[in-house]
Amino acid sequence: MNIFLKVAAFSLVMVAGFWGFASFGIPQIKPAPPPVEEKVDLGAMTMDQFIALGGKIFNGKGTCTLCHNKMGRAPMLSDIGKNAPLRLKDPRYKGTAKTIEEYIFESMTKPSMYVVAGFGKSGTNDTESPMPDVTGGGIGLNPVEVKAVIAYLQDAGGAEVTVEIPAMPKAGAEAPKAEEAAPLKTAQEVIAKFGCGACHKVAGQTGEIGPNLTKIGATKNKDYIRQSILDPDAVIAKGYPAGMMPKTFGEQMKAKELEMLVDYLAGSK
Amino acid sequence: MTKKRLIPRLLQLVLIIIGVYFGFILLFDVALHQIIPKSLLTMYMLFVVAGTAMVFTFTEEGAQELVGPIKALVEDPSKKMIRNVVFVIVPLLAGYYTYTSMLPSFEAPMELRTIHPAPPSKFKAFGKSYNLTTLQNPYRKFEKEDPAKFKGLVKEGGDVYIKNCQYCHGDKLDGNGPYASGLNPTPLNFQDVGTIAQLQESFLFWRISTGGPGLPQEAAPWISAMPVWQDYLTEDEIWKVILFLYNYTGRAPRSWANE
Amino acid sequence: MNPRVAVWLVAQLHLWLGAFVVAVPMFVFIIETIGMMTRDERYDNMAYEFIKVSITAYSLTAIMGGLLSFCLVLFYPDLFKYLALIFKESMFAYALLFFAESAVLYIYYYGWHWLQGGNRKWVHLTFGLLLNAFGITLMLLANSWTTFMMSPAAVDAAGVFNGNTWEAIHNFLWNPINIHRVVANVAYGGSIVGAYAGFKFLSAKNKEERAHYDWVGYNANFIAIAALLPLPFAGYYLTAELYAYSQQMGITLMGGVFAWIFIIQAVLIGALFLSANYYLWCGMGRSDGASRYNGRIKFIAIVLVAAFLVWFTPHTLVLTNSELKSLGGPYHKYLGVFGIMPAKNTAVNFLLTFTFMSFMFYRRANKVATVSWATTGNAIQIALFTMGLINIVTLGVYYGYFTNTVYKVAASIPQVLTTLTIIIVSTVIDTLMYKGAKDVAPLHWGRMPARSQYALFLLAVSFTWLMGLMGYVRSGIRQHWHVSNIFRDASPDAYTPTLGYAANVITVGTIIFMAMVIFVFWLSTISGKHVVAKGYWKEQA
Repeated sequence: MNIFLKVAAFSLVMVAGFWGFASFGIPQIKPAPPPVEEKVDLGAMTMDQFIALGGKIFNGKGTCTLCHNKMGRAPMLSDIGKNAPLRLKDPRYKGTAKTIEEYIFESMTKPSMYVVAGFGKSGTNDTESPMPDVTGGGIGLNPVEVKAVIAYLQDAGGAEVTVEIPAMPKAGAEAPKAEEAAPLKTAQEVIAKFGCGACHKVAGQTGEIGPNLTKIGATKNKDYIRQSILDPDAVIAKGYPAGMMPKTFGEQMKAKELEMLVDYLAGSK
Repeated sequence: MTKKRLIPRLLQLVLIIIGVYFGFILLFDVALHQIIPKSLLTMYMLFVVAGTAMVFTFTEEGAQELVGPIKALVEDPSKKMIRNVVFVIVPLLAGYYTYTSMLPSFEAPMELRTIHPAPPSKFKAFGKSYNLTTLQNPYRKFEKEDPAKFKGLVKEGGDVYIKNCQYCHGDKLDGNGPYASGLNPTPLNFQDVGTIAQLQESFLFWRISTGGPGLPQEAAPWISAMPVWQDYLTEDEIWKVILFLYNYTGRAPRSWANE
Repeated sequence: MNPRVAVWLVAQLHLWLGAFVVAVPMFVFIIETIGMMTRDERYDNMAYEFIKVSITAYSLTAIMGGLLSFCLVLFYPDLFKYLALIFKESMFAYALLFFAESAVLYIYYYGWHWLQGGNRKWVHLTFGLLLNAFGITLMLLANSWTTFMMSPAAVDAAGVFNGNTWEAIHNFLWNPINIHRVVANVAYGGSIVGAYAGFKFLSAKNKEERAHYDWVGYNANFIAIAALLPLPFAGYYLTAELYAYSQQMGITLMGGVFAWIFIIQAVLIGALFLSANYYLWCGMGRSDGASRYNGRIKFIAIVLVAAFLVWFTPHTLVLTNSELKSLGGPYHKYLGVFGIMPAKNTAVNFLLTFTFMSFMFYRRANKVATVSWATTGNAIQIALFTMGLINIVTLGVYYGYFTNTVYKVAASIPQVLTTLTIIIVSTVIDTLMYKGAKDVAPLHWGRMPARSQYALFLLAVSFTWLMGLMGYVRSGIRQHWHVSNIFRDASPDAYTPTLGYAANVITVGTIIFMAMVIFVFWLSTISGKHVVAKGYWKEQA
């Protein structure tokens, strides 16, 4: 027992020595606290995070990649930093933008101010763009989101990021309450709001990306049309790729609006 | 049994330890004029004491000779006088040591700066964000591709250095510029093998462009006087100055690709 | 109880016990084989004694493993779910292997005396081999889960698993950790059984017992030293791979928050090497012929201590303000050169070479070479050591200070090769030279001072604490990530603790572990005791 105590005491003294050296013999560096996690708090957002937010919108809510992709439906934006100044000087340019930032903003809200050769609506000789206004219709980006996308496009397109992170909008200001209040009155309004004409030829609009809907009622019934709006990929019209049409209309349209639209299309013969 | 020694073993041990202790002080503080830090000397002596004690006790006779006098001091009735003196002096010495080491003083507390703080993986400068793991000096490639152009770039970097950096870091890059004596911590000595030669160019770019305020928190206290050079120099100038730093000191930047 | 500390302590205890029980069968197998080849029963008895000590530790390991998974599920359910998603097959295999290992271990241990002699011994040895195969495979699987958390593979940036389990297991740091752990486990196992032998030696009642445990302790120390020699290289390889995997991790480890860890590590390894050497020197007292070499020990000691001083010198010095002013900066003109890797590599190689030299002196202590070329052989060996050491210094100085940093790390490889060459060549020469050498006198096993046994305890204690420290840093370099850059630790404990805090946890862990080990040792001693309880049982008619 005596030996046991001696050995235990010896070992404890040694451990205490190591502990003492680690605690007092060397300087204690306090490691930096872990970085704050990303939050959609504009006040605390760095430009990197803001750009990342823009990227998320570009690939997601903005539905931009439906057309701005490698399939050639719309121009690629990876060189926008280089191309934008050239376009501002182009005689075909109709807008008022002076800087790259303004040009991108204009292209997003008034796409027809400059149409890249070969990407215009057919028959308009590149004077009218098939792209919808991203602040309206089915996309409905709010000003902050538009700015984030501009920042993302500048960053990804090789331009200097000039966008400033906007102040946090007042609580509730973001939600478009007025719109929710009253459902639209006519099918034409529905088509205009959700931007169907950007892709489809319908109600006097001349989109070319999706199937022509001017005579849809002649061949398809209401159920088919309703299904195609709510779940676009369920049945794909011949010659068109799947996955192009946004799947979010079911969430965005009110039931009355949807039925109006279905009735209208079924009646287009 | 044991032969009579000129100096008893116990005294030998004590003399060796004291000798090494003063040897260190003599060597560094007096001969080389670079004092040996107290914290380091303490640890050095711990190992020296352990090593000496091991050598003196690994044989049975050695251990006996060492312990013998101590045992005698405690047990031998004829040594009563010395025993009493030792038993008074030792606690007094221990008490004195404790007292002096605990005594509050006016000296500022020790501060430790991390000389190579771990870099962030990304940092922002010049309104852009840089990825430190992939960042390369855009001019480094000319070293092989176009030596004449490279020489010109180094010269331009030298001009930038003389106009901006040498006041602190010195015209010989030895950290001993005209203002150096006023700074604490003193400016970095680029000639030292432990400084830029240990680092990648991207690390230097990070340190130069964000300066003292850009140091990470764990490197605190960031009392570094290094300015935030991105406010005064262009990106190109910083890259050129980096070329100059390596070229003048004759060192090559660290790069992981070649290892 | 803080969840992180709970998981930390339990995982560390599991690792300590696991390292011990994985290592013991490795050298038990070797010792048993030696016994079989030489037909020296002492080896067989020693092997049996080692496995007997580890058998209780085996159940404790399993209990700790269970407790660890319980803690993970309880405190970090999301992380566990994520890991289980990726490693479900290997976790299942782990469980099956564990049952297989248990079965083999019980047969190996309880069948020890049954499977003796002739072919039966071969069967027994095969079980030993199987036991090792299962044990090592178990460890490799567990390593893959740990290294996955450091260097995730087979997942994309968002952490979505691509279904390739082998790729996830065979991640970047898996093999470096495997090598490092296997080698370290053997050294650790050796040091723990060394402590066991030391304790039995001190409490031995008679001369035979003393002689036996002295011999056991010597063998344990030999195992520990043999595995300690390659360990710095394994560690160096691991660190180099870590740098290659992520520079950020590498700098965090060596230059950032954890830089001071390596100063503590140097002190602990100093304690390891010095105590192992001291035990060897003391052991020379067993031989009557050792006094020939006694005078040279002090030179070995001087080199060892000097090498440690170099290894221990930090790059960033702790300076008081007046010292800082007097030096003119945080860099020391002369001591600064010891602060970087080439100096430390050189020091480590010296350390290893001279530790090996200690061992050679020990081996020779009791022998007198009878071959005719003994003088030449000695001269060759002296030349070999001199050339080797000069080569190590030249490489270190030249590559460290006079060429570009690109080559700094590369220089360590020829240095290591030099050291290995010295060790291997001089072992060969020594073996040939002392073939048929005559003994000075029979070795006096048991003629060993008590203080030498404390060197064995110091070895075990330092090793345990050191493993705890390195466990902290291995886990700590992930910083606030559960799985590096993929799975973030969102708990309030995501911050990296300071060294002092880690030292507290490690110290508590070491003490708990020591208590467990004492319990295990005590169990192994009472199993052989029989108390005669007369008058307790009813008399049989």
